[in-house]
Amino acid sequence: MKIEKEKLLELYRTMVRIRTFEMSTRKLRSEGKIPGGFGMYTGEEAIAAGVCAHLRNDDYITSTHRPMGHCVAKGSDLKKLMAEICGKITGFNKGKAGPWHLADLEIGLLGANGIVGGGPPLAAGAALANHLKGKNGVAVCFFGEGASNQGTIQETMNLASVWKLPLIFVCENSSPEVQVSLGHTLNFPQVSVEDISVRGQAYDMPGTTIDGNDVFKVYETLKEAIDRARKGEGPSLIECKTYQYEGPFSGEDAAEKEKDWQEKDPILRFEKNVLDSRLLSKSELEKIRVEEDNAVSEAVDFALTSTDPPIEEAYSDVFNN
Amino acid sequence: MSKRELSFGEALNEALKEEMRNDARILVMGENVSSNYRAVTRGLFEEFGRDRVRDTPITESAFVGTGVGAAMVGLKPVVELMLVDFSLVAMDQILNQAAKTQYMLGGMVKIPLLMRAIYGAGTSSGSTHSETLYSLFAHMPGLKVIVPSNPYDAKGLLVASLRDENPKVFFEHRLLYRMRGEVPEEQYVIPLGKANIVKEGTDITVVATGMMVHRALEAAEELKDKSISLEVIDPRTIVPLDTKSILSSIEKTSRLIIVDEDYYNCSFSSEVAALAADEGYEYLSAPVKRITTPNVPIPYNPKLEKHILPDASKIISTAQKLMK
Repeated sequence: MKIEKEKLLELYRTMVRIRTFEMSTRKLRSEGKIPGGFGMYTGEEAIAAGVCAHLRNDDYITSTHRPMGHCVAKGSDLKKLMAEICGKITGFNKGKAGPWHLADLEIGLLGANGIVGGGPPLAAGAALANHLKGKNGVAVCFFGEGASNQGTIQETMNLASVWKLPLIFVCENSSPEVQVSLGHTLNFPQVSVEDISVRGQAYDMPGTTIDGNDVFKVYETLKEAIDRARKGEGPSLIECKTYQYEGPFSGEDAAEKEKDWQEKDPILRFEKNVLDSRLLSKSELEKIRVEEDNAVSEAVDFALTSTDPPIEEAYSDVFNN
Repeated sequence: MSKRELSFGEALNEALKEEMRNDARILVMGENVSSNYRAVTRGLFEEFGRDRVRDTPITESAFVGTGVGAAMVGLKPVVELMLVDFSLVAMDQILNQAAKTQYMLGGMVKIPLLMRAIYGAGTSSGSTHSETLYSLFAHMPGLKVIVPSNPYDAKGLLVASLRDENPKVFFEHRLLYRMRGEVPEEQYVIPLGKANIVKEGTDITVVATGMMVHRALEAAEELKDKSISLEVIDPRTIVPLDTKSILSSIEKTSRLIIVDEDYYNCSFSSEVAALAADEGYEYLSAPVKRITTPNVPIPYNPKLEKHILPDASKIISTAQKLMK
């Protein structure tokens, strides 16, 4: 599949923006400037970038415990995003949501979610609304391999299928080789199948497993699934096998781990690909990295100079009147 | 008698190990329960194997319900809910299948299921990772609700809970796990439904649970200098509730403050206030006061979160107003 140069630059920019943004949150967290915890998306950037490159502003997504990739890729204002993570009044949700719950309806981001498997039913509702609106809008729900077992997701797959909803299930399988949950190797496997995509068959929807660290593959596969949804042909399930960055690496095998990671790193893989094939130049890539670095620095400054919400905010918004 | 200190987490761990050695029907299920990172379940997998210590997928309805079914046919499952907020995913299994079945079936079955729920605010974890919610379970007929506040009680109450043949939810405050306290080497049991008068006093009865017991004790300490004497009562279990101990304390002090980390509406605090109104009315010389998390979800921002939680200063100012 040939991808236009402008799209290539966009894919790269999104991946770099996610990486840069997250690296800065790691730093802020180590400095105690982010009050709460959240899961990292580093290493999975190709998925959010490759999926969201097909989405319009009126398409919706739901995110997970690793929300930064999806939020950035869907077009979040970096300043408001960073401010929300830091708990500031200038954040999307006045500092009341934080990284696990933040949302921005203006850009179709229905929210990260504190409950594993909590998002997909909401995405189905957004898909239904888009379907009824009749403008070919879709919704995408992101979820991990752990969440893929939740009743909410299995039930939503069935509902989306029987209603032919324009909904794409994107499973980010970040422990494809060993079954790990929160860094712990489980004493029973949590997933009953090798490829989660086979579960699509149970609900009469296409299911595909792809290399989630290959942004070209993600882009291409999602184009088909999203086109299908826009045409009213119903939901799809795409499983993206992916690897999280666990570094910085230490110990005797640090160099080996680093090398292994570099081979998987979706950004390095993209760079190698486009440079080898002369689709993009080094200076074009460099320019994007510098621009994103600056944008993220501005977002950090904005968040750190913003204030906490006033105490009255503790009591507002329970009801809207 | 030997003196020995354990953390809250270690005390629970010891109770589980001892009871699992005594009773082969006990098995432990939940998310990451075979992990050694967590004090309460540490070493269980190594000692008892994976037949009895089972990591579950993140599927609360399925693994809680599996616990209910296993209990119905003779096992004694201990099901861990990594956070009480996640129990909401499994509400049918907890409130319909576990709570009602013994009664509904006319006593034909026993459901000796123990759900361990980690709860509590104070870590800036946001609205779905910070709640207390024990009132929700206490509302439903058929569930016992246990809320220990210190290592000694944690162990004794867990042993009693593991020997109890009914469905119950055992609440462990996430910020109490590292609290250390005396736990004797000798085995002991603290019966469910027996309150602890943590500190005797004469002016105001303060009923508090879990982490709030410590907030009440802080307030009591500071109020000593101001010549206000608090009697702090930890009911230890919300269901069954030791109403007798609470009422006799009100009879002595004539004033009541309830300190409750759960929400304000239709809650443990309202229950105790109603008890005082119903059965302790003639003892009271002042209005009953409730210091609770107000009826708002827990906000992420740490200043807002701190603001809404009950603390010693709120107890102190309320006590001073009551004594005017």
